[in-house]
Amino acid sequence: MMPTNPPPFDDLWKFYRSRASVYDEAVESAGVLRPHWAGLRDGLQDYTLEELANRTVQAERMLNDNGVTFDVFQEKDVQQRLWRLDLIPMILPADEWSRLQAGLDQRARLLEAIIDDIHGRQRTLKEGLLPPGVVFAHPQFFRPFCGLHDRTTRSMIVYAAELARGPNGQWFVMADRADAPVGAGYALENRIVTSRTIPSLMHRRPVQRLAAFFVRLQNALKELAAKQSDNPRIVLLSPGPASPYYFEDVYLAGYLGYTLAQGADLAVRDERVFLKTLAGLLPVDVILSRGTDRGIDPLELGGDSLHGVPGLLQALRQGTVSIANMPGCGLVEAPVFMAFLPALCRQLLGEELQLASIATWWCGDDAARRYVAEHLDQLVIKPAFEASGGEEILGARLSAAERAELLVRIAERPQAYVAQETIARSAVPVFDADWNLRSGHAAVRAFLVSDGPGYHLMPGGLVRIARTADPMELSISAGAGSKDLWVLSDGPVNQVSLLHAVDKPVPLRRSGALFPSRVADDLFWLGWSMARVDFLARIIRAVTERLTTDPESSEELPALVRALAEQGQLEATFAVEAFSGLLPKLEGVLPDAVFDVADVQGLGFAVTEMLRIGSLVRDRLSPDTWLTIHQTTSDFLEDSSPERPDSAGLLARLNMLIVDLAAVSGLLEDGMIRGPAWRFLELGRRIELGRNVASLLRTVVSSGELQNRAVLRALLEVLDCRMTYRSRYLDNVQPNAVLDLFISDETNPRSLAFQAVAISEHVDALPQDHTSPLHTEEKRLAMAALHAVRMVTPQQLEAAQPDELQQLLLDVDGQFRSLTDLLQLRYLLHSGTPRQITGEGNVFT
Amino acid sequence: MKYRVTHLTTYHGDQPVSVCHNEAWLKPRDTPFQRLEDHQLETNPPPTSLAQRHDYFGNNVWAFSFNRGYDEMIVTSVSEVTLNERTIPPVDQTPPWEQIAETLRRPASPDDLAACEFTFDSPRSVGNTALAEYARQSFPAGRPLLEGAAELTERIHRDFEFDPRATTVTTPVDEAFRLRRGVCQDFAHLEIAALRSLGLASRYVSGYLRTRPAPGQPHLVGTDASHAWLSVYLGHGEWLDLDPTNNLFPSLEHITVAWGRDYGDVCPLKGVLIGGGGHSLSVSVDVALIETDDSPS
Repeated sequence: MMPTNPPPFDDLWKFYRSRASVYDEAVESAGVLRPHWAGLRDGLQDYTLEELANRTVQAERMLNDNGVTFDVFQEKDVQQRLWRLDLIPMILPADEWSRLQAGLDQRARLLEAIIDDIHGRQRTLKEGLLPPGVVFAHPQFFRPFCGLHDRTTRSMIVYAAELARGPNGQWFVMADRADAPVGAGYALENRIVTSRTIPSLMHRRPVQRLAAFFVRLQNALKELAAKQSDNPRIVLLSPGPASPYYFEDVYLAGYLGYTLAQGADLAVRDERVFLKTLAGLLPVDVILSRGTDRGIDPLELGGDSLHGVPGLLQALRQGTVSIANMPGCGLVEAPVFMAFLPALCRQLLGEELQLASIATWWCGDDAARRYVAEHLDQLVIKPAFEASGGEEILGARLSAAERAELLVRIAERPQAYVAQETIARSAVPVFDADWNLRSGHAAVRAFLVSDGPGYHLMPGGLVRIARTADPMELSISAGAGSKDLWVLSDGPVNQVSLLHAVDKPVPLRRSGALFPSRVADDLFWLGWSMARVDFLARIIRAVTERLTTDPESSEELPALVRALAEQGQLEATFAVEAFSGLLPKLEGVLPDAVFDVADVQGLGFAVTEMLRIGSLVRDRLSPDTWLTIHQTTSDFLEDSSPERPDSAGLLARLNMLIVDLAAVSGLLEDGMIRGPAWRFLELGRRIELGRNVASLLRTVVSSGELQNRAVLRALLEVLDCRMTYRSRYLDNVQPNAVLDLFISDETNPRSLAFQAVAISEHVDALPQDHTSPLHTEEKRLAMAALHAVRMVTPQQLEAAQPDELQQLLLDVDGQFRSLTDLLQLRYLLHSGTPRQITGEGNVFT
Repeated sequence: MKYRVTHLTTYHGDQPVSVCHNEAWLKPRDTPFQRLEDHQLETNPPPTSLAQRHDYFGNNVWAFSFNRGYDEMIVTSVSEVTLNERTIPPVDQTPPWEQIAETLRRPASPDDLAACEFTFDSPRSVGNTALAEYARQSFPAGRPLLEGAAELTERIHRDFEFDPRATTVTTPVDEAFRLRRGVCQDFAHLEIAALRSLGLASRYVSGYLRTRPAPGQPHLVGTDASHAWLSVYLGHGEWLDLDPTNNLFPSLEHITVAWGRDYGDVCPLKGVLIGGGGHSLSVSVDVALIETDDSPS
């Protein structure tokens, strides 16, 4: 019965129609909400539709600002897909959730028992509970993992299940995620944003908090290390920025308080795992692995996964380190196991399976295969041994020919396929583009963590929405959007939070989390690329400007072009050949050379490197800095492929690049904490700038053009010192004054002396071995360079003896180059890339 | 027959290696026909860590690491083994091949179950239709298993040319099959895949072969190398070795080191290193007969 005066809420729900033959989460029957949704209806009365629309925009902006993405930037496709959030949560009552808790706890225990058995005694095979082909033909059954699972600690710490609710209200497990399940961080972020955006809605109802789940995760990981340490060092091992879920790795590492590491940050020494930091190797007790187990140890499993650590399995066998989850858990993600779970549950746990999987037939069984052939229309066919979510074939959509072809494929390799029932997922209210409530189909990912003898189910989860009832991809990035999941509480809500203990001062500190050497390495090269881009862009700009005006009469153009050739940006012929003949050619060649991202000495390469390296250390940069780097590079490289800009276009791009880059420098300069990260960035920049200046001056000195006023003016322009020079000497351009400005003036940020002072200071501040009372080698190099430029004589600056000046520049350049090598060796090199030596040389007769 | 096997692996890089982790399947396992009398593994430089374990298939594995850097690494494995003669069952008295295949389809005993694992494709020994047809020619219905296997071994020996330049350790089976050439490892993988295509169980054996010195010539050090052949399952826990490279049933001249599904399970030496630049790996193997059965022990 509709009330005569419908409140605003009902405007919202006016067009909401539940769909025929699906279970509606919100509506019991036409016009009647389920009781546990009543609070939401009341709460929504606080907001007008317009407000809700605004708040959704606000929420998505908040997510965007927090960097919630699930697709990293690839070299070509710089757009990250953003996370979409529908503010109306999905709601479930307490009793229903506790039934799911019981069912999923049992399922997690069962899957762990299967994992342990397959990698251990193989009772499941010996007693015929599993056909041998399910295990022996399983491509993810890695024999080196066998023996790791018969220990006293848990194999599976975290587990996630993909759930769907069928038309009769019954829940089914659609897929199991046991390798390194993702999504819990996204669920948490959805909750935080939803509760900040519509606070009154949230607080009107007793919604269970999520934080307790993460506290349990922390405890479970701590417990894993019980043998090694009371205060274990725990790292979150990430596959790195190339992983689609890198955001979540960064987010969870921060939230849980663990060091974020990639494979190259960890090293195995004497069967122990260490974190490589600038201060040396620090032992690691527990690894929370976020990459698939098949790449976890390149020594025993091959491959070159970014989260792989050579020697890790041996360290695990020795028990010197613990890991969540234990390698081998990934095996049970294959849907083939679903066909056997009821019997396995009875045999392994002595219990009846409480929560059904979606009905599954393994074609390796003859009777099952016959059933599949006869009922293809009602089934979806998928690979038996791959985690669900990849190739899925809907039987009902096949033509007669396709159907026959599929049956042949199955007959050829029956054990490689399973068939599953299709299901119409339950419906939830979703805003459409016009802010009407429509019904969408829900996929729920539920998260469990080891807790005592069983598993604890997060009271919440990640809801993804599909517009149609078709089978949904089972990855967390699938669907048209996501929702928060509210699980109501019967009693008072536990107020645990990991975010910040309100009203409680924290112990003060000046240093952040541990600093892996790899990050220092990346920052060093980020600094290098910034200096390189700036320097090249300025010379190219100077050249292009002259090319577009009156190239023939420009006295300084040959020197500038030579400088570019010496930097490797142009072919060497431009440095030596008779110049006049090359001019017309140059105008055509230059834009191509500039945008050639494959030429490692060119500007295009330096720009793409800046973006690539920037993305690697994104979690160390402020969001504004990253955004500006991103913007700078895409502005410059955008559309450069189809048609090269002409000289005028190039000029505009270069001007923008130089200004954009200054914004990046400014953000770093103003925002970055003066810790080791900043020092390595600075070292990279200062060394490269010093070398570039030395090289530019050498080009001018060696060609004997030091007396050429036009060349000197061009130097002042390229190194951005025209105004300074003018304020000191007006228009009187003299070689000694120009050289003083670029060599010995410690107040000029582009002089050799300024770089040497800064470098020397940074080298001093690096962590070092204090066992010897003498200066370290890198310190000696930095001091030698500084000494050389400070000891420069007026005669040298007057260039009475060009050879002497040339030698000075060569020496300083050489010292800077050696310093780079030394820093690499001392601090950065052991983060080198591991390589395989298998194969070659194993001669067979 | 008692042999001393000296297996020398030299790794050399253009630049110093800073860290290197290795695993080696170099220590011969005991078999019903082979006893390991003595084994020494030495590395130069000495390793910073060294451990031994058994792998999933019961083979001996050495795991060793270097983390103080080196320019050159030499791994020397010296093993003394005694071989006893194997009895080869009369080929026509082995069970029909389909009977064994059927046993393996529904393994009832622990032995059959263990063998069943070797009936499936493995990463480096993947079957295909052409290879299955090739195999089928030697296995008409009801033929005794070993008669078929012996013929298949002989056909591979005849149809394929030994050519060390045609393939590498990563050449897939179907390519070697197409090329009709390769080395012992290719022939072993090929025959394994062929046997498995019939539902039979076959495993890869890594080891050494005594090379007979030419008459009047002294035994040459270093001319020998690692060898590979295969085993086929005859039922009741019995396996028999086949060497398609030499077309024979191994007995007193084949020293077994390890077995697995294919080469990938029992690679003699593998490693992951940091540094080193370009590198080269050289191997020499010497198999010396130190006691014959006639000589006093």
